[in-house]
Amino acid sequence: MLCAVRNSLFSLACLLVVGSAVLLLRARPTRSSPQEEPQSTPEPAPPPTPPATPSGPVIVLDPAHGGTDTGARGEGGVAEKDIVLRMMRTVREQLALQGYRVVATRRDDSNPSYDDRAAVANAYRDAIFISLHVASTGTSGTVRAYYDQFSVPLSTESASPVLGIKALAQPSSPLVLWDEAQRPYLDASHRLADVIQNQLARSFPGSPTVSTGAAVRTLRSVMAPAVAVETSSISKSKPDALTGAAGPISSAIAAGIVALRQSNGAEAR
Amino acid sequence: MPRGLKILVVVLAIAVIAGLISLQPLRRRIRRLGESRSADEQARHAVLAPPISTPTDVTVKAQIFWAAGPDNVAPVEVDLALSADPVERSRQLLQALIANPLTEEQRTLPAETTLSAFYLAPDGTAVADFSDAIASGLPSGILSEEMAVNSIARTLESNVPGLRRLKILIHGQEVDTLAGNVDLTGFFDLNSVPASPTAAATMSSPPEHANQER
Repeated sequence: MLCAVRNSLFSLACLLVVGSAVLLLRARPTRSSPQEEPQSTPEPAPPPTPPATPSGPVIVLDPAHGGTDTGARGEGGVAEKDIVLRMMRTVREQLALQGYRVVATRRDDSNPSYDDRAAVANAYRDAIFISLHVASTGTSGTVRAYYDQFSVPLSTESASPVLGIKALAQPSSPLVLWDEAQRPYLDASHRLADVIQNQLARSFPGSPTVSTGAAVRTLRSVMAPAVAVETSSISKSKPDALTGAAGPISSAIAAGIVALRQSNGAEAR
Repeated sequence: MPRGLKILVVVLAIAVIAGLISLQPLRRRIRRLGESRSADEQARHAVLAPPISTPTDVTVKAQIFWAAGPDNVAPVEVDLALSADPVERSRQLLQALIANPLTEEQRTLPAETTLSAFYLAPDGTAVADFSDAIASGLPSGILSEEMAVNSIARTLESNVPGLRRLKILIHGQEVDTLAGNVDLTGFFDLNSVPASPTAAATMSSPPEHANQER
């Protein structure tokens, strides 16, 4: 009798241990991938992916900075990293409403590396990468679109002799150097940035009418048309005014995507 | 109370009073040290970046690219004694760019920045090594960083013939970005043909003269 009770208690204890272990494993936070929901900051569920354009491009939104990297700082401790996160949510919702598939490189106060951000876009066959920034300077209420700036390709004599791997970047090779990933997409990025900038100039008077080429680090490794959009400025505008720019920025991005696809279609024909 | 204990209490009381008395001057001294940091910075600047003069110096009208408004840089013609030696000439120009803007609004590089070294390779590759202040004192943002790089690149290319490309180091090291956005891992082309006609029309005009080569 005593033995049976002891066995029952032992079985119960085993079950409890196993059950607890399973619960703990399920509850353990996994390494946050860029597309995953935040662990700390609660956020409404992303809008459902509309079935209207299943073959359309995936828009990868990249709120710049994050974590200990605050980016530009304004009065009262306002940080670029927080404003661009809010802007991303608005842009994501508006683009999703228009039928685009949208993912983000971060959805919380994390700071993925430049390469991790690029990897989100590079995981898709047909993606468009938009990096959102807020400037420290510049005329208040203006917005700029940047495409990455590469100069003339490296000549053989200027290439580092150490980098025998440079040969991999030749057009005949199917391999692409991570640091050179954006180079084949420069023309598309430039066209996309120009259309976006043109739209932005209508919504934000004083903004340039054509886009700007700049060596923006976060665009360099993206294997897709990639544009950085920077709103001015955190030192002169109120945070609400900056986040309010997200609506017109969404429209400009959508117009850019449509124009890019049309021009790509025309080229294909 | 035993005599020894009395003495101990008195000694402790004296020590506490002495501590309290010395606390106030100590606080004042700490505050003064904090205030004198900027003065130290200026003194350090004067020591590390003394005026450069060479036997071949000739006063010419140099074009220094400073900020012309919040969004762009533009050349300002200034009388500057410049060396015939391209390395010394480049150092003189970059010192003037950092130290001599007419107004604070014209400044594209933090005032505390010093040029630690400047090298020129036979193929026209210039290497400018700046102090940490160029990154830590610069407001983060693509626009401000691009204006900083652009002011350096265009000042050099407008006044030093033969330069082909520029590499920017910070504290002797290659760094990923200037202040979080603009890529410093590559070279910036100097005296190059604009990459595209559209880019040449941009109002901040950074790209066409400061393209980056990777």
